Amino acid sequence: MTDLHGIVYAFHSFPELGPLQLPRTAASLPFCGRYRLIDFSLSAMMSSGVRDVGVIVQRDYRSLLDHLRGGKDWDLSRRDGGLRMLPPFGMPNSHLGEYKGCMEAMSAVIDYLETIRQKYVVLTRGDLIAGLDLSEVYESHVRSGEKITAVCTTGTPSGQHHRYILDGDGKAVDILCQQKENTGGVASLEVYIVNTDTLMELISYCSAHRMPHLHRDAFRSFLKNGDKMNVYMYSGYCRHITTVQEYFNASMDMLDKSARNNIFTRERPVRTREHSDASTYYADKAVTRNCLIADGCYIDGELENCIIFSGCRIEPGAKLKNCIVMQGSVIGKDAKLTNMISDKDVVITEGITLAGSPQLPIIVPKGTKL
Amino acid sequence: MKKKCIAMLLAGGQGSRLYALTVSTAKPDMPFGGKYRIIDFPLSNCANSGIDTVGVLTQYQPLQLNRYIGSGQAWDLDGVSGGVYILPPYQSMNEKNSWFSGTANAIYQNIGFIELYDPEYVLILSGDHIYKMDYGQMLDEHIAKGADCTIACLRVPLSDATRFGIMNPGADGFVEQFEEKPKHPKSDLASMGIYIFTWKKLRQYLISDEENPSSDKDFGKNVIPAMLSAGEKIWPYPFSGYWRDVGTITSLWDANMDMLSDTRLDLRDSSWPIKSNSEALPPHFVGPDGEVLHSIVTEGCEVYGKVENSVLSSSVVVEPGARVHYSVVMPGAVIESGAVVEYAIIGENTRVCAGAHVGAPPDGSAEWCVATCGPDITIGSGAEVPAGAMVYKSVEVAK
Repeated sequence: MTDLHGIVYAFHSFPELGPLQLPRTAASLPFCGRYRLIDFSLSAMMSSGVRDVGVIVQRDYRSLLDHLRGGKDWDLSRRDGGLRMLPPFGMPNSHLGEYKGCMEAMSAVIDYLETIRQKYVVLTRGDLIAGLDLSEVYESHVRSGEKITAVCTTGTPSGQHHRYILDGDGKAVDILCQQKENTGGVASLEVYIVNTDTLMELISYCSAHRMPHLHRDAFRSFLKNGDKMNVYMYSGYCRHITTVQEYFNASMDMLDKSARNNIFTRERPVRTREHSDASTYYADKAVTRNCLIADGCYIDGELENCIIFSGCRIEPGAKLKNCIVMQGSVIGKDAKLTNMISDKDVVITEGITLAGSPQLPIIVPKGTKL
Repeated sequence: MKKKCIAMLLAGGQGSRLYALTVSTAKPDMPFGGKYRIIDFPLSNCANSGIDTVGVLTQYQPLQLNRYIGSGQAWDLDGVSGGVYILPPYQSMNEKNSWFSGTANAIYQNIGFIELYDPEYVLILSGDHIYKMDYGQMLDEHIAKGADCTIACLRVPLSDATRFGIMNPGADGFVEQFEEKPKHPKSDLASMGIYIFTWKKLRQYLISDEENPSSDKDFGKNVIPAMLSAGEKIWPYPFSGYWRDVGTITSLWDANMDMLSDTRLDLRDSSWPIKSNSEALPPHFVGPDGEVLHSIVTEGCEVYGKVENSVLSSSVVVEPGARVHYSVVMPGAVIESGAVVEYAIIGENTRVCAGAHVGAPPDGSAEWCVATCGPDITIGSGAEVPAGAMVYKSVEVAK
C-alpha cells in the first residue's frame, strides 16, 4: 500500500478567471460537463490508495464544501482519517487577505500537518487537470531515496510556471521560478511527493524566515543547500487552469478523443460528486456535432463543438457553436451563441445572439437571465 | 432497533421469459431507461418514501446484483440505523432453511431478519416493476383503514383484466374476492404485486402456509386467498400513474420506449428522484458525424453513427456508419461501423460487428417481435439476426 498523505491547495483564486472565479475558488471550477477541477487531484489520490487528504482552503470555499461534502465520492469518508477541509486556523490574521504562497498556507494549518501519520505527503494544486498515476510517482520517489520528487513534463505550459534544471542523472539541481516559456530544463506540474519530515522541516524553516512561497522560497533554498530532487516525467495531458483562455482551451481539448483518453481511463476513473440526474433526452430537432453532453439534459437545438453540463435545456432552433454551458442552464429558442461560456443556472431567452471569439470568449456569469 | 415499517424486496426470480438477457444475471439487475437498473425503482421509491430498511431477497444469479447494490449508498440507504441488506438463502439447524421455494417462503425464511426490527408493518415489493410510488401514502391508508393487508391496485381496461390478478371489492370497499387471471373479470382493479401487511398477521399466515404441504408458498396464490377466506381485512389501494411489469422481452422493450416520452414517467422530476449506482463516467460524446434523435443517451457513450428512437445505456459505442433504430442498447455494447440494429435489445458488453444486421421493423404479422441479443456475445461480421430471434451465444458467419 502507498504510505501517502494527500494535500491539495484549494485556496487559489485567479483574477484572470474573471467572472468564473467570483462564486468559487479555482479548485471548484466546473469542467468537462460534470467535474470540478479538484476531482482530478482527488481521483488521482484515490486511485493510488491515498486515504487521508487535507484540502487547504481560505476563502469562498462554500461551493467547494458543497461539492466535496464528506468525501464520500472519493472513498474519503472514513471513521479514521479521510477528508479534512482545512480553513485558516490558529494563526493571527490568517483569515484576512490572501495566503501569499503555499508555505504560508501550510503554516496556517500546521496543527493538522503535525498529525500526519504517513511517511510521505503528496502535494497538488486543486486546479490541475492531468491523468497522473500517483502510484508510479510514489514508487519512483521511494526508489530514488531522495527527500522530494517533482513531477515534471517536457511540454511547455501556457502560462507562468516553474522549471527545473536537471543534472546528468536526471535529478533536479536548480529551479527557475515563474517562467513564461521554455527557458531550459523541464516544466513543473507542481505535483510533489515529499518525505513528511522534510516537509515539516521546510515549513518551520520558511515560517521562521518569513518565506511564504513553495517554489521561490522552500524548494529554492532546498536546492541551494546542495540537495537534489528526484524527477518523475509525465508525458500525458496536463493543464493548470488560471485564466479564462486556459479554461476555454482545456475545455475544447476534451472534445479530442486522445486528450480525453489520457485523462479518463478505466484504471484510474475520475470520480466526482454523484448527482441523481436522469439520462439525457434528444428530441426531434436535435443536431449534435462533436459535443460532450452530460446527463439530465434536454436537447432540441443545434450544437457544434460544445460542452453541455448536466441538467441543461437547449430549445429548438437554438444554435450553439464552441460553447460551454454549465449545469442547470436554459438556452431559449432561436438563440445564437458562439464562443460563449455560460456559468451555472443561466437563462438565455428566445432569440438572443451572443458572439465571442475563441481568443476572447464571452462569459455569462452565474445565475444571469438574459 | 424498532422500526414502524420495513421493506422486503423479492429479487430472486429468474426472469425466465427474458431468457437470453438473464442467463448470467438476475432480472432486477437488468439495465433500464439509460442509466438505471430495474431495482433502482423500488429502492428509490423506498428511500423517497422514508423507508430506510430494505431486505433484498436474492437467489438466482445474485453476484452482479449484490455488487450493484453495494452498501446502498447510491440510494442513501446506508444509514446508521437502517440500510439495504442482501438476504440470500442460508442453511441452519432447521432443515426448513434452504432454497426459497416461493415468494411467501422467501419471507418466511427471513422472519428472523424482520424481527430484528420488530416492525409493525412490512412492505413486500418485487424487483421487476417500473413505477414511482409513495409507499408512505399507502401505509397511511393501510393504517387509516385498519386493514390487515393492503394491496396496491391499478385500474386496467376490463379487456386487459384477464391477464392480471383481479380484486373484487365489496360494498365497504374491502376486497371480497381475489381472482387470478379471471376469464370474466368482475372488476378492473389489478394487483400490482405490492403489499403492506400488518406484521403480526403476516407472520401468523406465513407460519400456517408453511405447514400446508399443498401450498405453492406464493403470496398471490396462497397467502392472500387464505387471509380472505379467514375474513381478514384486505384493502385495495388504488394507484394511478405509470406502472409496467417488465417480465417479457416485449414489455421490457415497450417500457424502455415509453421513457422516450416524458408524459409516461418523468425521470427528470427532482421531487421524486430515481437514483442509480452509476460508475462516474465522463459525459457522452457525439462525434462530428453523429446523429441522435428522439433518444436517450447516458454517460460514457460515444456516438459516431446514427441513433434514432432508442435508449442507450452507459458506455455504449456506436461507430461511424452504424445505425441504431427503435432499440435498447445495454451498457458497454459496441455497434461497429456499418452494422444495423433495429427493433432490438442488445445485452451488456455485446459486440455487433461490422455489417451485421439485428432485428427488423414490424411486418404486421402476429408473430413479429423485437430481436434480442444476450450479454457478452459477439454478433459476427455480416451476421443476420431476424426479428423475434433470441440469441445467447456468439454468432459467426461461415466464410
